[in-house]
Amino acid sequence: MIQTILALMKKELYQVIRDRNMLRLIFVMPMVQLLVLGYAINTDVKKIDTAVYDFDRSSLSREYIKAKTAGDYFVISSEKPPVLDVERGFKENLYTAALIIPNDFSEKFTRKKPVKVGLLIDGSNANSASITSGYAEMIAMQFNRRQLDLPEPIVMRQQMLYNPESESIYFMVPGIVAVLITMITAMLSSMAIVREREIGTLEQLMVTPITVPALIIGKTIPFAILGFLEMSIALLFGVLWFGIPFAGSWLLLYGLTFIYLFTTLGVGLFISTVTKTQQQAMFFTWFFSIFAILTSGFFAPIANMPEAVQYITYLNPLRYYMIIVRAIMMKGATVEALYPEIIAMIIFGILIFSSSWLRYSKRVS
Amino acid sequence: MFKIKFIAQKELWHILRDPRSLIIAILMPIVMTLLYGYAINLDIKNIKLAVIDFDKTSASSDLMGRLYNSGYFSEVTDPVSINDPEMILKKGQANAVLIIRPGLSEAIQKLKSMQNMTSISVDNYELGLIVDGSDANMAAAAGSYSSIVVSQVIKDNLPLGFEMPGIRISRQVFYNPDLKSSHFFVPGLIAIILMMISALLTSVTIAREKESGTMEQLLTTPITPRQIIIGKTLPYIGLAILDGFLVLGFGVFHFGVPFIGSTLLLFVFGVIYVIAALAIGIFISTIVKTQQLAMMGAMMVTVLPSVMLSGFIFEIKNMPLVLQIITHIVPARYFLLIVRGIMLKGSGIELLWVEAAFLIALSIVLLSVATKLFKLRVS
Repeated sequence: MIQTILALMKKELYQVIRDRNMLRLIFVMPMVQLLVLGYAINTDVKKIDTAVYDFDRSSLSREYIKAKTAGDYFVISSEKPPVLDVERGFKENLYTAALIIPNDFSEKFTRKKPVKVGLLIDGSNANSASITSGYAEMIAMQFNRRQLDLPEPIVMRQQMLYNPESESIYFMVPGIVAVLITMITAMLSSMAIVREREIGTLEQLMVTPITVPALIIGKTIPFAILGFLEMSIALLFGVLWFGIPFAGSWLLLYGLTFIYLFTTLGVGLFISTVTKTQQQAMFFTWFFSIFAILTSGFFAPIANMPEAVQYITYLNPLRYYMIIVRAIMMKGATVEALYPEIIAMIIFGILIFSSSWLRYSKRVS
Repeated sequence: MFKIKFIAQKELWHILRDPRSLIIAILMPIVMTLLYGYAINLDIKNIKLAVIDFDKTSASSDLMGRLYNSGYFSEVTDPVSINDPEMILKKGQANAVLIIRPGLSEAIQKLKSMQNMTSISVDNYELGLIVDGSDANMAAAAGSYSSIVVSQVIKDNLPLGFEMPGIRISRQVFYNPDLKSSHFFVPGLIAIILMMISALLTSVTIAREKESGTMEQLLTTPITPRQIIIGKTLPYIGLAILDGFLVLGFGVFHFGVPFIGSTLLLFVFGVIYVIAALAIGIFISTIVKTQQLAMMGAMMVTVLPSVMLSGFIFEIKNMPLVLQIITHIVPARYFLLIVRGIMLKGSGIELLWVEAAFLIALSIVLLSVATKLFKLRVS
């Protein structure tokens, strides 16, 4: 039994190694993805291009504009825009916000009266539009307090844990690692078996004394090894290149990844039992991956989804693994904090693996 | 012409004969539209806020009520430990913990009874907020939203006749006053789906002929390579356009995404964009030999950049300069601006000509390179 499994594993590994292009893709793709995604996936709303219509033209209004652009949030893209054709600028994508300072600005302000300042926002990107208005609100609040020397009867003191530099990359890179190993392992395992079927070598394997369990194990373990390799490369890259802190235990992360790989390989295996051609297998896996990524909380918070969709996310193994990777790397979480996720992954793994096992045995006989 | 039709017919049969792939090709856009329309919401809402209330007065429950009713924070059902408030963050059951020390109601009382703005001493009362910073965006929002709520509390408890002086922002949102994310995602999704279907399917279908050895058979017939390519891609252009309409229809009729501009203009640019996508697909298939490689290659050169480097979700201006330069050769970047401009803002060609010129140029370059390479490989 063990010897047949070893032989199968060897064959499978040979098949991957022999194909130089494939090998290159398997190892180069994650590096490129990590590099590109690490820099590109950035949901920060910063450097909002702003047009400024200053009808007051006083030192105070200039002061306010300066305060507005002092942080990294607003950038003035046109200082002297054409008279009140704000919308044309939106349509030509020159700026996404316009600030209108009325001509009685400094007069009212110095007399300690409320003064209205107009903020027109291009709402096509709903998310950045609402953040833009939040920033404007905050900056106005601070400006008022500073300029008018307002008292602060109630103060909010904040303490930021785990990521004091507020780097969104620290949050995204662990997520990218999780996504990468999900896609690679599910894709490779689903296509490997279908390829044998498409070429017709699966029948040949079936007539040998190799049993179904041995076949399944021999076919999936090489991909588990590849998955671990991928993850290690990606993690090292993340820690060394991006300087991601690793607060928790490497051993725990690897142990839980082992459990997780059971679920992705199980999905790949299951797909290979319901498809006939590599194209179909690829499509199904692709479909699964998109679904898994979008509902994992990778970049869009699960809490924002409608309740029905939130329940569906419980069926997504990546959801649990995403929480685990991030919690271990950023917060140094231990088993104690993660056991609900671990149990969920184990249940999912057992279910998907045994059902594809059953389907397999049926198809064979 | 007749030969092209013949090849196209054969390819169409291939598609129709394989209902599993066809179902996915049609179902995928629908599911993606539904997911993006309903599930993907980058707004930072529902920040899970746990509260440790030492004050236990009506003032503290008023503050909590305001926080939870603001729409930004949601209540946490799991208990938070007073001795180890960090644990609930580690478990991920809360994103922030608010600590209300005793004395909030006294601070409010003092505020209510003050005579003028300067009669109150600074730094009277402090609230504590411990934030899980792993998600930097959410952490920043937790801080700023809670300060906005606190300033509201202060404003509402000022004595009668008092008005907070200073700047007030009066905002007006264009094109999307309800700030719905689906208005942003659905037009972008058209760009993604068109690219995915066209590039992925064409690269795989040509690679399949190569893998099974039928490409040589086709080439020995009097059909020219150009005819083969046109014939093979035509059905996929049709499929891609069908998918584009599916997403568009779902977006407009189901999610109420506005369509202000010209349908014809969008259609013309859609076809130009699909040609660019097909050219990339052909290009990939000339280099690789197996379906597996074709698929992985197509994913790497088309789907990922279209999603990640086009401004679909992640803003280009936040990227490092090198990546920003790379985005200029991603066709989706231009098509995205065009779709969003036409649908949401009703922009016409006079405003979009720069993007249009880039897109057309890119399509021509890609197509000529791809056909040249294909002929080279064949001979």
